Amino acid sequence: MTESTVILILVIVTALGFDFTNGFHDTANAMATSIATGALRPKVAVALSGALNLVGAFLSVEVALTVTNAVVNLQTSNGTPKESLTADGGVALLLIILAGLVGGIVWNLLTWLLGLPSSSSHALFGGLIGATIAGLGWSGVNWNGNGTKLDGVVGKVILPAVLSPVVAGVVAAVGTWLIYRAVVGVAERYTNNGFRWGQIGSASLVSLAHGTNDAQKTMGVITLALLASGHWTSTSSIPFWVKVCCAVAIAAGTYLGGWRIIRTLGKGLVEISPPQGMAAESASAAVILASSHLGFALSTTHVATGSILGSGVGRPGAQVRWRVAGRMVSAWLITLPAAAVVGAIMWYLGDLIGGVAGAIVIFLLLLAAAGYMYLRSRRTPVSHENVNDEWDEVAPPEKVPAGAAG
Amino acid sequence: MNNLGFALDGAWRVLLAGIALGAGLPILFTLGLRSLAWSASGPVPRPAGRVAGYTLFAIVVLGVLLGITFIVATGFGKALSFEHIYPTIVPKH
Repeated sequence: MTESTVILILVIVTALGFDFTNGFHDTANAMATSIATGALRPKVAVALSGALNLVGAFLSVEVALTVTNAVVNLQTSNGTPKESLTADGGVALLLIILAGLVGGIVWNLLTWLLGLPSSSSHALFGGLIGATIAGLGWSGVNWNGNGTKLDGVVGKVILPAVLSPVVAGVVAAVGTWLIYRAVVGVAERYTNNGFRWGQIGSASLVSLAHGTNDAQKTMGVITLALLASGHWTSTSSIPFWVKVCCAVAIAAGTYLGGWRIIRTLGKGLVEISPPQGMAAESASAAVILASSHLGFALSTTHVATGSILGSGVGRPGAQVRWRVAGRMVSAWLITLPAAAVVGAIMWYLGDLIGGVAGAIVIFLLLLAAAGYMYLRSRRTPVSHENVNDEWDEVAPPEKVPAGAAG
Repeated sequence: MNNLGFALDGAWRVLLAGIALGAGLPILFTLGLRSLAWSASGPVPRPAGRVAGYTLFAIVVLGVLLGITFIVATGFGKALSFEHIYPTIVPKH
């Protein structure tokens, strides 16, 4: 096996690991409301969401290989890696991708440990940006696009992150308010079953859309690595095994269920009632699909959180825990830079040691960080059994200082 | 136009579509529930309530099918076009 093959294998394993974290980090986006209102039992909800993510991932027949182009300049516009990075069996490019993925995973795990729904795409992009800055300098990053369309870090990441939760929140607030107006005077026994199905249907749409959108990103990254190391040459298709592995990884992650995050979204922000759950998930589904139709990149996480907050604002007399919301927003703000810092450090370390040894060292560091955070999480376990326990503001379930696991 | 302009332009379109579909369909669904409840709650059954209720549900189901069609079409590299009012599937780009 050549040097680049070994690194390639590490990249593929790490990418699938990222896809897996992406799955369990985002289960909450679709299912937190249905779980909180009891529309679906927790295990059934994650199984349904996992299955729909699997179907969604396989629906991604036309995968864009240019996923990284939105934020970094590693590829040409047709998806082939830049020639300057493919010398030596693509080791230079592989190291950037590996370091970036490590940055994304570490941040995803840390926010999961803290029960914060942060964006997996921001974590991935952040890691890649950091590793690219470290490897190629500031000019390796596509900050602002070329001015002809919404592009670059500002256009594809920052602006959508600011706007999408607001838009989703307004839609959900309007929906919730109107639904409560519409059911005035109707006995609950007539509406509860209907709202239950409304929630299940809208949450299913969100899951399906998530599978088609998010699994693609990892498929694109793995195929880029294969192109860089010369194991794949087509830029119009991706290897079938890549699709299968990514689909299975994201579905398995979703099925595992990020219970800590589900708990925060379902119980922490707002006490969700069935009409609110339906309004929130319908708003999420509509905003995600409309944005994707208009080519407006956004994060499912930001939309889902905005919708749930909106459903709290729209319900007369509902209590919104703005403190919890504030913590989430601060997590969003630092997701990209934090993942970037980890990605950059990993690249410097890998580059310093050099070659296969460098790649193996950063891979082992990732395993150590993941293992540590898993052990930390066992101290205050959250599972399908206690996910719906009363939310106690006085003693929040997570007491890990932000710096402890970093 | 710069990124901010593009983003704001996209955002208000998403907001309009979001309100129409993301708030509109749940309202129709709720009104459907209300009609069924009204039809069942009187001393004698009111068939008009059932007809209205199921008509509203049918509209909601069509909206959901549109959403699924869009997801599937996107996966196959196609897009939905509303050029002819009713949606048609067209190649992307």
